[in-house]
Amino acid sequence: MLAAYFLLRGEFDWPTSLTWQELSSRLDSAQGWLLDQRTAEHPNIIFAILDGFRALAEWLVTAFINALEWLTWVGTIAASVLIVLRFGGWRAALIVFGAFVSFALMGLWEESIQTLGLMSAAVLLSLAVGIPLGVLAGRSDRYYRSITPVLDAMQIVPAFAYLMPVVILFSVGPAAAVICTMIYAIPPAVRITALGIRGVTPDSVEAARAFGSTAAQTLFKVQLPLARRQLLLSVNQTIMFALSLVVIAGLIGGRGLGDVVTNGLYSNAALAILAGIAIVIMAIALDRATAAIAERTDPTRQHLTDEGRRRARIMTLATLGAILAIVLVARALGADALYPDEFETSTTVFTATIHDDLLRWIQSALDYVQDPDSFIFGITEPIGNFLLEYFLEPLRLVLVETPWFVVLAGLTGMAFVLSGRRPAITAFLMLAAIGVMGVWAVAMDTASQVLVATALAVAIGIVIGVWAAESPRVERMLRPLLDTLQTLPQLVYIIPFIYLMPVSRIPGVVASVLYAIPVVIRLVTSGVRNVSPAAVEAASAFGASRMQVLLKVKIPLARESIMLGVNQGIIMVLAVVVIGGLVGSGALGDMVARGLQRNEFGEGVVASLAILALGIALDRVTQGQRRVQPR
Amino acid sequence: MTDSDGIAAVETIEQVPAAGVSNGEPVVRAEGIWKVFGPGADKIIGTPDAELSRSDLQRKTGCVIAVRDVSLEIKPGEVFVVMGLSGSGKSTLVRTLIRLIEPTAGNITITGRDVMQADTGQLRELRRHTVSMVFQHFGLLAHRRVIDNVAFGLEIQGMPKAERLARASEVLTLVGLEDAANQFPDQLSGGMQQRVGLARAFAVDPKLMLYDEPFSALDPLIRRDMQDEVCRLQIETGKTMLFITHDLPEALRLGDRIAIMRDGAIVQLGTPEELVGSPADDYVANFVRDIPRTHVLTLRWIMRDPKPGEETGGPELDVTTKVNDAVPMAAATDGPVRAVENGRCVGIVDRLSILQAMADRPEETEPSAPGQGGRPRTPADRSSPAGGSS
Repeated sequence: MLAAYFLLRGEFDWPTSLTWQELSSRLDSAQGWLLDQRTAEHPNIIFAILDGFRALAEWLVTAFINALEWLTWVGTIAASVLIVLRFGGWRAALIVFGAFVSFALMGLWEESIQTLGLMSAAVLLSLAVGIPLGVLAGRSDRYYRSITPVLDAMQIVPAFAYLMPVVILFSVGPAAAVICTMIYAIPPAVRITALGIRGVTPDSVEAARAFGSTAAQTLFKVQLPLARRQLLLSVNQTIMFALSLVVIAGLIGGRGLGDVVTNGLYSNAALAILAGIAIVIMAIALDRATAAIAERTDPTRQHLTDEGRRRARIMTLATLGAILAIVLVARALGADALYPDEFETSTTVFTATIHDDLLRWIQSALDYVQDPDSFIFGITEPIGNFLLEYFLEPLRLVLVETPWFVVLAGLTGMAFVLSGRRPAITAFLMLAAIGVMGVWAVAMDTASQVLVATALAVAIGIVIGVWAAESPRVERMLRPLLDTLQTLPQLVYIIPFIYLMPVSRIPGVVASVLYAIPVVIRLVTSGVRNVSPAAVEAASAFGASRMQVLLKVKIPLARESIMLGVNQGIIMVLAVVVIGGLVGSGALGDMVARGLQRNEFGEGVVASLAILALGIALDRVTQGQRRVQPR
Repeated sequence: MTDSDGIAAVETIEQVPAAGVSNGEPVVRAEGIWKVFGPGADKIIGTPDAELSRSDLQRKTGCVIAVRDVSLEIKPGEVFVVMGLSGSGKSTLVRTLIRLIEPTAGNITITGRDVMQADTGQLRELRRHTVSMVFQHFGLLAHRRVIDNVAFGLEIQGMPKAERLARASEVLTLVGLEDAANQFPDQLSGGMQQRVGLARAFAVDPKLMLYDEPFSALDPLIRRDMQDEVCRLQIETGKTMLFITHDLPEALRLGDRIAIMRDGAIVQLGTPEELVGSPADDYVANFVRDIPRTHVLTLRWIMRDPKPGEETGGPELDVTTKVNDAVPMAAATDGPVRAVENGRCVGIVDRLSILQAMADRPEETEPSAPGQGGRPRTPADRSSPAGGSS
């Protein structure tokens, strides 16, 4: 491939004869047609259903926001904290309380409430679809087998790629945001639910059958209660996925924190960062609260006797009573629906938030890191330039300027060697499709960013992962950090690097490395950990040193996990790299961003399709011989 | 039998539905049961392929025979043991009886009802009221208290809560777990968990109890306790039981009759005495070779015909006495011991024949020929009838 690059560079661009020139304009006119259909006096049945769904989603979002506003800000805090206290324990309640106080002090209360409303609607609808499907998949092997490839495929597609099609079908607004979130959040909900149901010990299920249970009795008396913790974890994951997307949804008319971030990126950096911090806090609080509730209410661990059950019921009633009382008192005393910017007494006016102070601090921090004389700048700037100069740019040139058929053959060959014949065929078709859509060069630019970022993530991930597997202390120290990194929405990763390393494609690449690393570390650690102790013991018995055991036994035996780490890593990296298009990474992500922001629908959809094709191709190249359970 | 309140209650409930079954009618009659796993499984039975060994068939058709043409009858009040190594198809067999695993072919009748023809509802009724099962890994519900676990079968039947809890606490008393009613399964030891499993199976007052290797997961000492428990419950309640195990001593301890399975088929079916005394083939012989024969065999197997004059006088023992139990009496008298059946002397046992029986253990008699260890042993006295039981 390198030889072809040096011999034939720049000679063979993707030929125009192999490009479908009118694709973009066709899509534009199709979009026009769709728009006509959607706004027609008497829409046909499909569009009527779409429109009905849009109305439902919008109504739900508004209903949630109205409910939270009816509670007043005092009531909202009281209700959240008391409910979490009742079901999740005081630790989680404290975190939730801290989160609401932060939203208030940051002066982002209204945005936070909007985000919560949007997210709640999306989560509710996702679970309404995902849990029944998951229960079905948990009970029927055939259904599980048929749905798994669909779920796999849906999880490969970067969220950024379906913003565009959804906007075309549902136009911008909260409904589009809810629907994007559903597309993104339903697959994990289905998968985790199915795994939960399937994870119930077969002995219990068989016993139920042997005693003559009907299917419904088995489900409600045995499978659901025993899988309950797992079901609540699927709620937890759905919330995390939803939150992650709700932020991007700011781009397509979802109000709230995401909107502040995406707009602030261009106009008010400090505000965008502040909103980003609020999102992080919200993610952590929601994660801890739902995880604690899932743990605490697991009927297999609660050991509730009749007496305990009665007491629990009384506690729940008392909690609800207390919430109602607080809300009514707050309303009677005239508490605002939203946390106010200032409190008035008869004599003075207090500022209720530290919004302005925070913004000032963030701005000064920004000024510092962007000052060429500062210490931080002295570190970040060279790193960024080094990456760009020695990795990104050369690789991009290689991929773009090497004759297209060489790259195509090379990647297909890699897929064949690593993954086998069928993945190779799929990869070939997907790459060819990219070419036909006329975005070969742009897609190769994206691919170069993805490859560099993946290489970095995998290299760092393997080192840290092996280290953590070898040293329990390192693993213990890493765990909370990894937990937190894994709960953060994708876009949030990018924000700091826009200011830390403001060099074209670097923020996206570095952020995607950070986004992918936790998963790579986890997979490597568990892979190395799970190497059969007998093999390790045997090697040690033959006098192998620790290093020899590691290099000759553990890592080779953990190869499959490491390969899975590469596969997962590359998909996650792609998801973030394309979001980088929002902040100057160029390439496919940029086309989507422009499509969204300037209504260039044709271009945007082409880029979305290309991202989809690239995702599938990269997945097939790295999926390896055997597909293990994906994230 | 009614020596405690709990048991009295068990009995009263049992008697009502028991009225329909006549005493001699088998509780279970299974004929020609096959279970073949794999594609086109039902097309194999009846063809020459069905005669192939397991591995040959799997190579040829991709199918695995789990149960091969098994027929058995279980009489009321009997403890019927199916014994075999793992993979012999015994667990599959027991599941086909109530169609937890659908048999590929065969006829099954349980308390006079045709199981194979039963529709879903009838099958459910059978499982709810007539048959109950105890599982190797207990299969308890971790989210329910012990008493709710015991009441599970009754709950499934739709019995009102107060009634089923009352019944469950009776049964808990029966297995000695009345103090654990409010605990949860994971708070109990393995042995206690299986007592809960036993109680759950007893609670529905079934005609037939299926035990699928119930004690395999327990420690040896606990296992013995549990075997005693099953013996006691069987005597107290007179339940018909089908017991699956891979443990020969357990089979010999519990079983009125034992079926030994290998590669899905029954290789021998008989009383413990018959299995130990006259194994049908090398496979069975190999199984029973380590069993102390004098613990299982009765006098019938070692007695000789009386010489003139021996038929009268001297100590006498019933012919069904285990050889081991005859030792004290034989040691206490100088003369031979008379084996009697229905008051009539049927044979003579002297010290020599007892000593021979004790010495006649394969590993002691053939230490130099380990390769032939599987040769079937025959009773010391071949002239006596092989099957003297029932």
